[in-house]
Amino acid sequence: MAASLDRRNGFLEFIYWIWNELDRTIFTAIKFSFPARFVSPFGFLGMLTFIMFITLGVTGALLMFYYEPIMTRSWDSVAFINNDVPFGFHIRNLHYHGSNAMVMLAILHMYYQYFSGRYKIRNEVLWVTGVILGTVTILEAFTGYDIIFSERAELAISIAASLTNSIPIAGPMIRELAFGAGFHDFVLRFYAQHVFILPLVMLGLMAVHFPRFLVFDVPMVMAICGAMCLAGGVFPVDLGFKFEPTVPPGITVPEWYLTGLYAFLRTQYDKFLTGVLWPALFIGVLLLTPFLDRYKKFSWKDRPWMTAFGITGISQILVTTYWGFYIPPDTTIPLVERLVIDPINLYLVMILLVPLSFGFTLMMIHLAKEAERKAKLAKANGPKKVSEIKLSIKWTNWLLVALLAFQVFLNIAAFNAFLSGMNNVNLWITGVILITFAGFFHLYRYAMSQSKNIPKPPKIPNTKLLESAQKPLSKTDQTKLSEEKLPQGQVVENVTPEIKTNTAELDLDKDPNLGMSDLKKP
Amino acid sequence: MSEQEKGPGGMSRRDFLKLLGAAGTSVAFAPFVPWGKFMPNPSSVTLAKVPVILPDGTQANLNTFPVNHAEVITYPETADEVLNEEAFRKWQFIRLPEKFGGARKDTSAFRGYSMICLHLWCLWKYWPDEGRMRGECPCHGSMYDVMTGTAFLGPASLQAPPSNTLPNLDFEADSDGFMFISPPTWGVNSNGVVGYGRFA
Repeated sequence: MAASLDRRNGFLEFIYWIWNELDRTIFTAIKFSFPARFVSPFGFLGMLTFIMFITLGVTGALLMFYYEPIMTRSWDSVAFINNDVPFGFHIRNLHYHGSNAMVMLAILHMYYQYFSGRYKIRNEVLWVTGVILGTVTILEAFTGYDIIFSERAELAISIAASLTNSIPIAGPMIRELAFGAGFHDFVLRFYAQHVFILPLVMLGLMAVHFPRFLVFDVPMVMAICGAMCLAGGVFPVDLGFKFEPTVPPGITVPEWYLTGLYAFLRTQYDKFLTGVLWPALFIGVLLLTPFLDRYKKFSWKDRPWMTAFGITGISQILVTTYWGFYIPPDTTIPLVERLVIDPINLYLVMILLVPLSFGFTLMMIHLAKEAERKAKLAKANGPKKVSEIKLSIKWTNWLLVALLAFQVFLNIAAFNAFLSGMNNVNLWITGVILITFAGFFHLYRYAMSQSKNIPKPPKIPNTKLLESAQKPLSKTDQTKLSEEKLPQGQVVENVTPEIKTNTAELDLDKDPNLGMSDLKKP
Repeated sequence: MSEQEKGPGGMSRRDFLKLLGAAGTSVAFAPFVPWGKFMPNPSSVTLAKVPVILPDGTQANLNTFPVNHAEVITYPETADEVLNEEAFRKWQFIRLPEKFGGARKDTSAFRGYSMICLHLWCLWKYWPDEGRMRGECPCHGSMYDVMTGTAFLGPASLQAPPSNTLPNLDFEADSDGFMFISPPTWGVNSNGVVGYGRFA
């Protein structure tokens, strides 16, 4: 058995051959790496967003087998997927929560790049395409939840179509060309945009946006996918009410990534200004960020104005996102008073958030610099102690076995839940399995790297060795000898097993613990 | 280089070629411009005088339709069931409350307004309760005067005309009181444009 794992059989050879030959394709310039130990996910949030994109593509393609983009039938087809198709509930929930995760990861990705100043050093095109990609991602998510054509979806479509219609002069024509004449067209065309046009645009933008360093961190990817399943199990997405054109809908709000915009729409001001110009202004400023930032430095601590602008933006987004959601539950208040947000209140708060955020930013910068100074002092005073978890080989093995057993147990539990018709429990346990696997894989790669560190027991040179050294050596003997020739007492260099991909090497010697040297760069 | 090649008109040979190239490209792609007509949906229905059909399938009669009451009617109705479910084809068919002259036995007691709210195209409906007697939109709280179809409160009321007044339908009745929809003209100065409005 051991032999079969050691030997490179024909199939494995073939896989390695393909992997190496990819060097001659478009992937030449991309350094693709599997980190051999934990690295902060902030560095590869973009990759995680892309993983979500792939997940959404797969689940979305499956949903297309049953979904019908017809005004009177779409809700029923989604209900059929959700209630009757085996694992339809799972696919639909993964698709829904995946979309939320993708929007969230894209936003986090953007702000990480913003505060770490990575749009500099000639990365402007990456930044600009990223902002457009983010906008298209939100449009993609928006068109997705619209085509269920529930009450809420119908209102979302109405808002999108009427906002387009409100563009001066060209608006009605754009609406007619892009969305069609009525709701029947809207559903069908939103569907075409959702499943084909927008993803195609995204793929095109991605071709430009993809950086040259890609990290595929198996545990983190598994953890994110697991979190998606957990979310689907705990907060399964509902179907809403089927839209009936004769029945005016109840009070609804859009998805969380649009309630910020919705708060402005609820102020009664002109819908073109609040619904089209404000978001356009926001996106425009984001697009121009790399050209507005004149600082020579990267860190947020050295760019107070940019950091303050970013923090102001985030605080305003948070406040308006909540405000857009909030409708006073008191039904005795007249409807118009519950739904309309007083523009004076809203804009006053928006303005007040500016000095507050600037003050907060200055305080944070001051504290961070103070902490930095103290850390430097402490470093000068003595070695920094880092606590580490060191597991012996025996315990690592036992832990791996235990995690494996736990996964087997969870699998049985998940299947049992499915047999009992408890879809959400099944989905939840599936999430736990994926997260357990994330931990399992992390331990596995830890063990793999540790297994290379086992110091060789010192050998007493004997006459036999001397004899063999004089003989002509076979290849295996030679390698054995070179290992033995290592000076005693010297620790074998800490090499981490990175699954090597191609020859486009970078300076990996900076930090041997990292598979990706780029991640620690400022 | 091009300096030497200036023709009699002062234009270089290369510039002349570029102009020709641009002209050729424009002409080659010109036939595709009308293809843009593919985008808007061409389906249209002829607007005819049709009976007012209530949701229960009967024709509305001004002698029997209750005062201060509203029903949803579909206009223009098509042979396609799906298209009839279109919100753009839904109208509130309202008999005015008594204080606004709803008791009169002629078509002046009736109103027909597009259900599409002029603000963000939500669906509003008529509330006959005492103290309300108006159209209310549940999405952002726009309120419509049932007599004129003009918004008097909420976001729709702040929109400039014609986007503050609902499109309407005109009715006629035969000698037995059965009601018909007169063929409308979609335009802001006549019956209005659904989702856009009408000059009151």
